[in-house]
Amino acid sequence: MFSCWNRRPKPAVMSKAKTQQPAVIHKVIMVGSGGVGKSALTLQFMYDEFVEDYEPTKADSYRKKVVLDGEEVQIDILDTAGQEDYAAIRDNYFRSGEGFLCVFSITEQESFQATAEFREQILRVKNDDNIPFLLVGNKCDLEDKRQVTIDEAQTRAQQWAVPYVETSAKTRANVDKVFYDLMREIRSRKMEAIRQSNGKKIRKKESKKRKCTIL
Amino acid sequence: MADHGGLARVLSKQDFNPENFVGKLAEGPGGESDLLVMKTKVQVLSDETAHSLKKNVYKNYFQFIETAKEISILEGEMYQLSHTLTEQKSLMSSMMEMSLVSDKAIVEEPKEQEQDNPEEETRKNLAFLLEKVEGCSSVTEVPGRHLVHNSDLAELDAESFMQIQRVHSFLLNDSLMIATWLPNRRGPVRYRFQGLYELDSLAVVNVRDAGPVKNAFKILMFPDSKMYQADSAKAKRQWLDILEETKKRKASRDKQKREAALFLAEQQLVTLTTPTEDSNPFGEEDESEALAAIETDFLNSDWIQELPEDLDMCIAQRDFEGAVDLVERVNEYLKDCPKVPAVKEFRARIDHRVKQLTEGLMGELQVSPERSLRGGPRAARRAVMQLIRLGKSAQACDLFLKNRSSIIKYNIRQLKFEGATTLYIRRLCDVFIPCLSETGKEFMKAFQDHYGCMSAFVVWAKKELQMFVSTVNRQVFGGKSSMSVIAECLHNARQQCEELSQIGLDVSFLFESLIATDLERVIRENKDQIIEGVKYRAQDDKWRPMNHLSHTDCLKFVEEMSAGGLDLKNYIYDACFINLTMNTANFSKSCLSFAHDVLLVHTPEIDHLVTEAIADIFRAEVTHIEDSIRNKNFNREHKFILKNAQFVLEVIMSKIEAAYKEQGVVFPKQLLDINGEYRRLKSVVKSLGAS
Repeated sequence: MFSCWNRRPKPAVMSKAKTQQPAVIHKVIMVGSGGVGKSALTLQFMYDEFVEDYEPTKADSYRKKVVLDGEEVQIDILDTAGQEDYAAIRDNYFRSGEGFLCVFSITEQESFQATAEFREQILRVKNDDNIPFLLVGNKCDLEDKRQVTIDEAQTRAQQWAVPYVETSAKTRANVDKVFYDLMREIRSRKMEAIRQSNGKKIRKKESKKRKCTIL
Repeated sequence: MADHGGLARVLSKQDFNPENFVGKLAEGPGGESDLLVMKTKVQVLSDETAHSLKKNVYKNYFQFIETAKEISILEGEMYQLSHTLTEQKSLMSSMMEMSLVSDKAIVEEPKEQEQDNPEEETRKNLAFLLEKVEGCSSVTEVPGRHLVHNSDLAELDAESFMQIQRVHSFLLNDSLMIATWLPNRRGPVRYRFQGLYELDSLAVVNVRDAGPVKNAFKILMFPDSKMYQADSAKAKRQWLDILEETKKRKASRDKQKREAALFLAEQQLVTLTTPTEDSNPFGEEDESEALAAIETDFLNSDWIQELPEDLDMCIAQRDFEGAVDLVERVNEYLKDCPKVPAVKEFRARIDHRVKQLTEGLMGELQVSPERSLRGGPRAARRAVMQLIRLGKSAQACDLFLKNRSSIIKYNIRQLKFEGATTLYIRRLCDVFIPCLSETGKEFMKAFQDHYGCMSAFVVWAKKELQMFVSTVNRQVFGGKSSMSVIAECLHNARQQCEELSQIGLDVSFLFESLIATDLERVIRENKDQIIEGVKYRAQDDKWRPMNHLSHTDCLKFVEEMSAGGLDLKNYIYDACFINLTMNTANFSKSCLSFAHDVLLVHTPEIDHLVTEAIADIFRAEVTHIEDSIRNKNFNREHKFILKNAQFVLEVIMSKIEAAYKEQGVVFPKQLLDINGEYRRLKSVVKSLGAS
């Protein structure tokens, strides 16, 4: 009856050839509560600009060619909305990511607390405890307004077994670092995945073979 | 001749050898005389041949001309045909270019009303989806769904940003439908359904900077993520805003629903929509569950499952009876079903088709210029029957009668007015009245048990009759028709009207009331005219017998008068004289024909008027006679005047009396009194003679 609805579109036919762009794309997703500076970090990274005026993001995506350890790759940044109402929709954002920058503001305790929820949701969606993930404490230039101590943040990062980095979109401190670090993680994960899948295939073959002999 | 025929046959033989033939002849025993005979025979034969050849040439020539005519007619028809075709082609192409829903209208439109009356608006709104997009019928069958925004987009590959294909996306109030563009496609179907995505789980990403690619945005919908490119920055902005807006609106609507009826809302979410539950990432499994949920006990029999398609087929094949059979069957079946959402949804699908079916049937009855009306009422009956079965008797009745109206109009228009009013009116009646009675019979057959519709028929008949009478009036009273023509026309029409009582429809009184004023006016006018005539002729009445100078002329005149019902043979004397004045003869003639005419259209309602008119005319004549008697100049003519008076008052009056009797009307007292005037005139003469 509803067969039409279920019909998934056929896999996109890749357009022929023409790839001057580097084939490798690393997909980074910015998550975190509203107003912690996800967009500011993204824009600083993309355009070396600091945007002072705040305007809530809905969901923006950016793409940039970068050189990662001598290799030319592309980074695809999805700057998500801090205030997305729909959990289901947030799931969809997260699904498309390969690595996450989980941002909070060191001047706002609540935003730090919220990171736990984000982490949880990401793990659930990706179903992978080792997903490339960085805990980012932004606005470190506002030391005098700090509410989240470094210790506090680092403890949490250790719990999750992820790196913790403090950044400032305003001063550009550590901005490049968080993105590049994450990309490196993503890259190594991809390598591992390829190795694993190869290994799996081999193992599968072997098991099959064994089965045959038993039968 | 037979001989010639034989010779002709010999000569026209296939292997005829003239030399042999001539040689044989010459050898023959007959000698010269035989040869001469043969020569004349051949001569005759040659003449005959020449003659028939000529004839044949003529015949062929005529045939040639006829063929040429036919060809030219055919050519004309072909030309018309090709003209029609090109016209249709241009119409179609212009329709294809026309965008059915302008973007602006859509942006403003969606208000919360759609929850109240989802059926009408939505159907209309989504109907065009069906026309444009192949394979999306199930999308349009969800009640309450409507279109919010749509436009062409280019689908890009999310990795390489290369264009994959052209698509058209339709934003509905609860979901987003993507349809791929079909290249090289003619006709209204331009797209093929690709996918429908719930807004609940749809993530929209604004692609801010993607190198050379401008105006793009991403739609993330598990497990796909798609990238689309709009034509302009404005178009993209619009898409993003409207998507956002629609999502919000849906969210608030869902919230309301959930609060109102949590259970029901959940149920519907499962059955009516693609089941991407908020927290469930395993869409695939859920879908099959949803499908399973639909398979309730009531709906899983095969024929029910196939019913919508079967209905579509029947409608497409114009098998209306079959379609209605199916609808009745399913109605019967669903009557006992509980109102679970699945059944409701199924119901909605059926209803949608019933609506289509109804439209198809109504189309059958619709009068359009290109459809021939020759089918008659019997052709309409089929559609009417089915509509009644669908419970649309009111519409059926309305359309049926409209159909009939136009048939009558068409038939009347076919009549040509060729001078003679009487003939035209007779034909008009011949067309109209049978049409009316046919409709009546047909109506009673078609709407047998729907007495409510009967009144509609009566109202219709009244309206038609009014139209008819107005045509009649225009022709009869409008022109300068003579009284006798009018009388005959009306008499005719009246008789026809009475025939309608056969079908239980009495329109006579209506007819009478519609013509009454005009009729009265005409009678009065004619009366005045005759009285004027009397007065005019009185001025130069010399009271001399008519002298026709010759016997033949005299007989001719008598014959003329007898055609008007007057026998003047007894008044002839001296071969060429008639013992009456010219005035008397003329008066008698006009008076008799007037009386005859008015009596033809006589009804009790105008009885008084008729009587008065005739009486007035006679009084005028009597006055004239009396004046003449009293006139000293005519002293010597008294006897002749009295003879004329006697003719007028006794002979003519008795003829009028006979006419009254013929029409079955009582001869009125006023006229009897006038009959007595003759005696009074006699006494006047006597008293004058005495003095």
